[in-house]
Amino acid sequence: MTTLTKPEAEPRPQESEHFLSVRDLYVQFATEDGTVKAVDGLSFDLDRGKTLGIVGESGSGKSVTNLAILGLHNPRNTTIAGEIVLDGQELTGASTKTLEKLRGKKMAMVFQDSLTALSPYYTVGRQIAEPYMKHLGASKKEARDRAIEMLGKVGIPQPQTRVDDYPHQFSGGMRQRAMIAMALVCNPDLVIADEPTTALDVTVQAQILDLLKDLQQETGTAIILITHDLGVIANTADDVVVMYAGRAVERGTVRDILKTPEHPYAWGLLGSIPRLSASVDVPLAPIPGSPPSLLNPPSGCPFHPRCTFAGEVGGDRCATERPVLPEGRGSACHLTPEQKRDIFIQQVQPRLR
Amino acid sequence: MRNSKARLAAAIVAAGALSLTAACSSGGGGGTGGGKGGSSAAPSKAPVPNYGLGTAADSTGPAPAVPGAVKGGTVQDLDQAGFDYLDPGQQYVSDQLSVSVLYARTLTGYKIDPTTGKTILVGDMATDTGKESDGGKTWTYTLKDGLKFQDGTPITSKDIKYSIERLFADFETQGPQYIQSWLYGPDYRKAYAGPYTGKDIPDTLLATPDDKTIVFHFQTPHADAPYAMAMPVTAPVEKSKDDKAAYNNHPVSSGPYMISSYKQGKSLVFKRNPYWDPKTDPIRNAYPDGWNFQLGIAEPGLSQRLEAGAGTDKNALNLSGSADPSQMQTLVTDPQYKSRSINQYQPYVETLDINTKRITNPLVRQAIAYAFPMSQVQQAFGGAAQGDLGTTLLSPTIAGWKQFDPFGKLAKPTGDPEKAKQLLQQAGQPHPKLVYAYANTPKWQNVSLSVANALQKAGFQVVRKAIDPTSYYTVVGKVNNQYDIYRTGWGADWPNGSTVIPPTMDGRNLSDGTNNYSFLNDDHINSEIDRIKAETNLTQQTKDWEALSEYSLQHDTAQVPFLFDKFFNIYGSGLGGVTYNSVTGVINASTVFVKQ
Amino acid sequence: MLRFLTRRVLGAVVIILAISFITYLLFFVLPTDPAQLACGKNCSNKVLVAQIHHRMGLDLPVYQQYWDYMRGIFVGRHMPDGQNCAAPCFGFSFANDQPIWPLISDRYPTTLSLAVGGSAAFLIIGVGLGMLSAWQQGKSFDRVASSISLIGNSVQIYFIGPLAIALFADNLGWFDHGHDPTWSSDPVGSLNGLVLPCLVMSVIFWSNYSRQTRSLMVEQLSEDHIRTARAKGMSSKYVFYRYALRGAAASIITIFGIDLGSVLGGAIITEATFGLHGLGTLAVNAVYQLDLPLEMAVMLISATAIVVFNIVVDACYALIDPRIRLA
Repeated sequence: MTTLTKPEAEPRPQESEHFLSVRDLYVQFATEDGTVKAVDGLSFDLDRGKTLGIVGESGSGKSVTNLAILGLHNPRNTTIAGEIVLDGQELTGASTKTLEKLRGKKMAMVFQDSLTALSPYYTVGRQIAEPYMKHLGASKKEARDRAIEMLGKVGIPQPQTRVDDYPHQFSGGMRQRAMIAMALVCNPDLVIADEPTTALDVTVQAQILDLLKDLQQETGTAIILITHDLGVIANTADDVVVMYAGRAVERGTVRDILKTPEHPYAWGLLGSIPRLSASVDVPLAPIPGSPPSLLNPPSGCPFHPRCTFAGEVGGDRCATERPVLPEGRGSACHLTPEQKRDIFIQQVQPRLR
Repeated sequence: MRNSKARLAAAIVAAGALSLTAACSSGGGGGTGGGKGGSSAAPSKAPVPNYGLGTAADSTGPAPAVPGAVKGGTVQDLDQAGFDYLDPGQQYVSDQLSVSVLYARTLTGYKIDPTTGKTILVGDMATDTGKESDGGKTWTYTLKDGLKFQDGTPITSKDIKYSIERLFADFETQGPQYIQSWLYGPDYRKAYAGPYTGKDIPDTLLATPDDKTIVFHFQTPHADAPYAMAMPVTAPVEKSKDDKAAYNNHPVSSGPYMISSYKQGKSLVFKRNPYWDPKTDPIRNAYPDGWNFQLGIAEPGLSQRLEAGAGTDKNALNLSGSADPSQMQTLVTDPQYKSRSINQYQPYVETLDINTKRITNPLVRQAIAYAFPMSQVQQAFGGAAQGDLGTTLLSPTIAGWKQFDPFGKLAKPTGDPEKAKQLLQQAGQPHPKLVYAYANTPKWQNVSLSVANALQKAGFQVVRKAIDPTSYYTVVGKVNNQYDIYRTGWGADWPNGSTVIPPTMDGRNLSDGTNNYSFLNDDHINSEIDRIKAETNLTQQTKDWEALSEYSLQHDTAQVPFLFDKFFNIYGSGLGGVTYNSVTGVINASTVFVKQ
Repeated sequence: MLRFLTRRVLGAVVIILAISFITYLLFFVLPTDPAQLACGKNCSNKVLVAQIHHRMGLDLPVYQQYWDYMRGIFVGRHMPDGQNCAAPCFGFSFANDQPIWPLISDRYPTTLSLAVGGSAAFLIIGVGLGMLSAWQQGKSFDRVASSISLIGNSVQIYFIGPLAIALFADNLGWFDHGHDPTWSSDPVGSLNGLVLPCLVMSVIFWSNYSRQTRSLMVEQLSEDHIRTARAKGMSSKYVFYRYALRGAAASIITIFGIDLGSVLGGAIITEATFGLHGLGTLAVNAVYQLDLPLEMAVMLISATAIVVFNIVVDACYALIDPRIRLA
């Protein structure tokens, strides 16, 4: 097995070499209609100071994966298998108490939709200060000072007064900044940002992403950036995992994915990014069809019902045989590497320009 | 006589089988009773009480001992509502009369034999039932020696005169008005406005020649004056303690008990009045050391407590209220309650009144009487337990009562539609229309259905009209009301036709709100009323009222009597000497004792 | 907050004035004649009726009567017949000519104690049960609790009251039968006397509150901000009490505000069931006796109480939810 960040390196001697290592992760929900396989055999690694982008449509299992890392899934109806190792510590079987100690301190999460993700009943300052008091045993006063400091750090003007504001008194961008401040208040080693910019306008999006990057450079935090938007990944991530129907269908460096994507699904995602340079004559090409039901996923390659190029593969292989994702750079698709290259260059790329 | 307003509450709430008769107390209305019954006493037989006038010897204290009685203990009274009026001048309603006897002595009073129940009128504070002169217009009373208020002040005839004068004050609106109008005429309030104006009633009308004597000079003869003197209006009021309307909350006692604490609608506690001398009192034994009234006890909880008799409830009774209808079946059938139950006539007669201004043909009115389904109505009342079949306009609780049944109702209690049809043919109106007004409660809905069915069988076309129960008497009491038949109830204020026939049958001066609900105006009755009123021989008067009531029933048929209301309740097993006052229709508190 | 309160209080004054005026019209102008109700049997005496008219001030124009009545509440009245009625004067009872206010001031402690005690009981029991159910969501406790709630929801005070008295007071002797409180002279006894009535009264309410609380808590627990709090490492307990309960409390308080009228109604039925002497039994008797001044006073006072408590509830709501603080 090779790491994604150093594709040229030899197989690692031991797993703990990576800061975060996810192996064969399965997450299943029991529902009245049957078992939902939200995550179906996912593996990836992440090192300190690096950013991993996880890309996919909604329902592809990217958010579920990260909730599983933090242990925030509902234990009553969720089964988790596989292993999640954070800095040498196994998380899948860890006790609630252990997880509570890690959450907010070692690993933190920035949620999308900051209006609902922040409690309306407490001040922003209090919500930032809470984990600081809990994990570092700080006094109220110290925690409040820290909250002001963090608010300043994430670029909130007049943090001394805004610290006592309630979330509804903040703008959307400010709330997202406050969320980031809250995630970073204990200097975590891992930050999972789940669609941190979805609800924001483009200018603010860029600011937030820059802020995350700046903070990462300052603290050396590892970041998982979850998004459905490859454009967000472009300037932020080092490595990328593309997820579809609970599985990773392609992985590589951000450059690999953006410049030479191999999986038809990744091509589709690329095609749906609006680009400033694109001609107005070429319409955006959304992926036809809708994401599959995870209750009853399609046989073979789960993408085949929506795949324009399934005919290029001989027989009904796409519908019967599940393609394997090779280790390292690669994609889970039955097309031959040549086909992948040719189709991308001849059919997909022209539309992206 | 009106009945307790509290009973009205019970009537509307419980509605089941409880009489709504007391509804009349709301709108200026007639007297009635909470008719409730019990075991079926032999129907319509003259009861023991004879209501005669006692002698001076009968009027001498102390009261004859009750067999087995001992002194001491505290009687608990559980009452559903409470007493609106404790001021004797305002007391008229039966529940008030039931408590009044404990602390207010009057010139005369009813002496009830604890074993036979024989009820006679005797002098209470007075040495006898009064001496008449001037052809029944002047009545002289002499007070006994040793009468005292609760503060030890001797009671004089001046105190009684003062209490009579108080009745003219503008806040005294609830009590009976007999004595006032006998002294001054019907517009007595214009003639004299009470003692607070600084004026007295002149000696020519009400004289107190000495501290022991009080002389009433009425404008017309009143042979039944001794009975009027038994109402609480003659109870003495101590002038120095009189604070007008507020006196209601702390009346000064002249009787065996005085109020030790009173919380309106919550509790009323009596302790012994040390200045009451049993030797002066022929009526009250006053065995218990105290009376504790618990007021505002809701039914059916109240009845259930009497049944269970737990703790102090063993010594509990309900002086003026009948048992809750829901408990009636148990109480009547379960033999364990028999030894501690009271089941007696109340002074109320239930009648179906016929609007003689609209139904002018007496034959049609008689047809209604024949068709009337007494048995079915008795069932709708809750069976024989609630009242006896009654066919007379006077109640059995009136002196000289006689059985009289001109329409053969007792022979055919379910109604005689054939006879009714025949009368209607004779009248030339085979299918007369009748607008039937009834108070809109479940009980009266049931009664009205039974009555309407029977009348329809006889050929009448009946239109039933429901009326809000709270304004029922106001509505049917309007002279120009648009109804043909409606039920009312009336009870005598004392056991003599003089408090029944004049108010309900005198057709002169008809106006809204009088108690002549059938608006009968019969010259013979009108002139007879004047003649009998002037009669000075009480026995003769009693006979004449009886005869006039028979005449009215047979000749005018303006009212169809159908039930005599009955009182039924149980009392705690710890009590003895529980007798009944059929004049007021309540338990007689004077003879009760607590078993030791 | 001050502006909020000022605005609400002014609004309340207008509401209460409107209620008072309408009830005044309904009670004193529409019925045939209050004097007819007040004179009892003696109404055939025209002089008496006229005299009662004068005593009650019914010979004055309606607006004058209303003004006198309302003014009397604040400064007292001298009645035409010379009777003095000290403030707060609600007039004189038709049933027995006594001033209304002493009667009410004698009775309201019972009703208030019942309403407060009963509310406390059903809030503690109901919200507590609901919270436990939400905490144990899906487990057997949750199921048992919902079944109990269902039963509790279908019983009536006058049904379980006597049963509770028989069982807990008579047989087991755990509680007092229930009696009127006299706080100043016997606080402990007053408390004892209220336990059973308050518990019985709470039954019809707490089942509703436990179900509401449970669903509100479950709903709150699935909110995004709860997940955020847990992602910060806050313990489940902390999140449950500090975040979810706070969110649910706002809704519970709103429901409670709407229920205030029912609470008063429940107190009235409880009074009747336990034979307590409160405003409820007073009002019921007043209705049966057609004692309009007493009805009017009870109505005005309970309307005022409900309006005032609603302001308090809204103020609490504003304290709990900062989003409406300035609204």
